Amino acid sequence: MPNLRDIKKRIDSVHSTQQITRTMEMVATAKIKKAQERIESARPYALAMVEVLGNVARYVSGASHPLLETHPERKRALVIAVTSDRGLAGAFNSNILRLTEDIIRRERAGGVETDIIAVGKKALGYFRYRGVEPVAGYRDISDKPTFADAKSIASHVIGAYSASDLDVVYVVFNHFKNVAEQRPETHQLLPIERSVIESAEKELQVRPEYLFLPSAGAVLERLLPTYVETLIFRALMESAAAEQGARRTAMKSATDNATEMINTLTRSYNRARQAAITNEIAEIVGGAAALEEE
Amino acid sequence: MARTLLCEIVTPERILYHNEAQMVVAPAADGEIGILPLHAPLVALLKPGEIRVRVDDNEVDWIATSGGYVQVHEDKVIVLADRAELASRIDVERAREAKAAIEQRIRELPEKDEAALDELKWYEVQIAVAGKAR
Repeated sequence: MPNLRDIKKRIDSVHSTQQITRTMEMVATAKIKKAQERIESARPYALAMVEVLGNVARYVSGASHPLLETHPERKRALVIAVTSDRGLAGAFNSNILRLTEDIIRRERAGGVETDIIAVGKKALGYFRYRGVEPVAGYRDISDKPTFADAKSIASHVIGAYSASDLDVVYVVFNHFKNVAEQRPETHQLLPIERSVIESAEKELQVRPEYLFLPSAGAVLERLLPTYVETLIFRALMESAAAEQGARRTAMKSATDNATEMINTLTRSYNRARQAAITNEIAEIVGGAAALEEE
Repeated sequence: MARTLLCEIVTPERILYHNEAQMVVAPAADGEIGILPLHAPLVALLKPGEIRVRVDDNEVDWIATSGGYVQVHEDKVIVLADRAELASRIDVERAREAKAAIEQRIRELPEKDEAALDELKWYEVQIAVAGKAR
């Protein structure tokens, strides 16, 4: 027979946990909105940049640039794993880490060495615990990534790629599909696929004759690194929004589970209370009967 | 009414500025360029410096930028800036402090750090532009 006081204690503790999860759910909901707005306000820059890229590409077809070159030999790959700083977001981080492990295994099977750039405390902790020291780690940016953060990550990979220290670069992040759905995705960052430039060119609606200062080649040279930075920035922002989405879903089911648990516990509490009362009555009746017999 | 340009300054994070203008002056890589209505289509690299937007005969908006690109097409001027700030919103005190901090860091660094130098340049530009816009 469960003790009445023990059940009461459990109900109280589940209740206070529920209050926390409910608050976290509401906080996440508010943060999703802000993160979404940030993605929205970054769109004009990205769109305008692709337009410039398409225009430049028309004038420098077949251009060569270190970031466009596929290296003849594939010896070293780098994976940028974008996770969050905080947990309690369901499978949000484990999806990313699993996908990253998949890439590492695949690349190793092909005799390619792999490096990791860890974004978020979760990725940092995960790889360090497994004895893999990330070549670079970023923390405290998963909540509100800035372009400077993206630039710093980009400069790392662009430098190494141009110097042929790296032969392929991937970024793994959670794509923010909508408020309730996040999809972990892998994108190849470097080398930049030529189809990207070709499709940017195809999408142009007007094709005026442009003047370039100082020259189309010089503009392209600056534009490609910026393109990589923008892609990384986008991945960081998508991940920030997706994190809040995942946390909201996780906290919502935690709150629902707590409600269910409180119901079950309250039922057994009442049953135990009723049993105790019945027991007491039986004892009193029994006692009275014993007295009468005397 | 005279023909005007539409001037838009966007950074990777947001649209910073959006206004009708009579003329836009931007710091192209090999010298300032002035853009008037009916300008030929143009794409230019920008270096760190100031963008001046002549809104009407007695109003000019000053914007500090750390460089980027400008695209001109059919009376629409789009500046893609890595970083930009309206001169009226630059906090000179804070920029000075940040500049001093970064100078200190550069002195302590064993080798040349491009990112730190860019950062330093950006604060210098902000201070200069805030001074000139007054």
